[in-house]
Amino acid sequence: MFKGDLFLEAIGPVASAALVTVQLTLAAGAISLLAGALAASAQVGGGFFGAFVSRAYVSLMRGTPLYVQLLVVYFGLAFAGLSGQAFLAAALAIGINSGAYSAEILRGAIAAIPPGQIEAAQAIGMSRWRIWQRVVLPQAFISSLPPLTAELTIVLKSTPLASVVAVTEMTYTGVLIQARNFSAIEVFAVVAVGYIALAQVLLRGSRSLERRFRLLRG
Amino acid sequence: MHDTLAVFIEYGPQFLDGLAETIWLTLLGALCALAAAVVLQAAAASPWRPLRALVRLYTELILGLPILVLLYGIYFVAPSFGLRLSAVAAGILTLTLYYSPYMAEAIRAAIAAIPAGQVEAGNAIGFGWFAVARRIVLPQAAAIALPALVGLLIGLAKDTAILSIISVKELSYITKQVVSRTFMPFEVWAGVALIYWVCLTALEVAMRRLERHLTRHRRAVS
Repeated sequence: MFKGDLFLEAIGPVASAALVTVQLTLAAGAISLLAGALAASAQVGGGFFGAFVSRAYVSLMRGTPLYVQLLVVYFGLAFAGLSGQAFLAAALAIGINSGAYSAEILRGAIAAIPPGQIEAAQAIGMSRWRIWQRVVLPQAFISSLPPLTAELTIVLKSTPLASVVAVTEMTYTGVLIQARNFSAIEVFAVVAVGYIALAQVLLRGSRSLERRFRLLRG
Repeated sequence: MHDTLAVFIEYGPQFLDGLAETIWLTLLGALCALAAAVVLQAAAASPWRPLRALVRLYTELILGLPILVLLYGIYFVAPSFGLRLSAVAAGILTLTLYYSPYMAEAIRAAIAAIPAGQVEAGNAIGFGWFAVARRIVLPQAAAIALPALVGLLIGLAKDTAILSIISVKELSYITKQVVSRTFMPFEVWAGVALIYWVCLTALEVAMRRLERHLTRHRRAVS
């Protein structure tokens, strides 16, 4: 039933596809952080209009399936003249989706900064932008590091959706191999191990990152 | 814009059928997952160690696995065990297997939040096991578990969209068919996103109402 040679055969292609999964995770993670920081800033200091746009963004992202968002972005890019950009579409869709969750995490962290610090910064004459850049954001990032890395794990677990637009990441590679060899059990065992291993790497990485920043915070 | 509206009017009945299927899948999937979660939670609390270890292993496995990999796995692997699953059955099985450990954790945390003294007090005044569960633990635990369960329910509702990949005829599958006939992929998908958004937002609002209703005793005291 479980054929060892098919299992071993699948390891090579899936491992090289893991590189695409990692690239996709990192690209989407970066977009998520950027979108999240923008949306959180708009919600806290963007006035009525900024808060409204940010709230609408978060609601839309959380209220629609990522699968549908991915297809909207994919065909939206094609509509704008960028057709066939599967990797870009997947990174954008997953990143912008996750950005809504990052925004909530960052908003919570910003709200937790004692107002006294901001008043102190104002008192010594720092500008609004400077306060944001030197006092608010660095601390918000550090205290939201654990939930943000958890969010990155969710991003990793969202990347298989890219298979829908034929990005040859791990899952799609698995689907292609099993269609050729009829080796579903063996191939999906390799793919599953791949995701669990990558999730473990992320977990370890985030723990050491947290330790490092905790020292910095004193 | 005008053309898009025409597509949604022309294929309105199909979209409604798809939406009904999505709602049905969500309800059935959520009920199966909840039932499986109760079983998992009971197994995790069993005095038999191998069973507890098995539950823990299963939970760890699911927590590390993307739902799409589970879906493909079930859909493609089941036939080699001689199991002929229909697309709907494979979809429900995937939702159940994937969401039950998360729900079990929400239930476990909620039950653990009930002070042991309350259960002891119930026993002391002569309540049996069932009466303690029904009158003391469950009403409070349900209110505590609800926010997490609502989050999971909405996640599950959104994940029904990926079942279109294995040709379950829900809203996203219908959309793919409509797109292949109208050649307006961007407009149609954006319109369907709006349909999902309205339904899921309504679901969330309704659930928040239920939550307020279940926690009304908290406000009555304070």
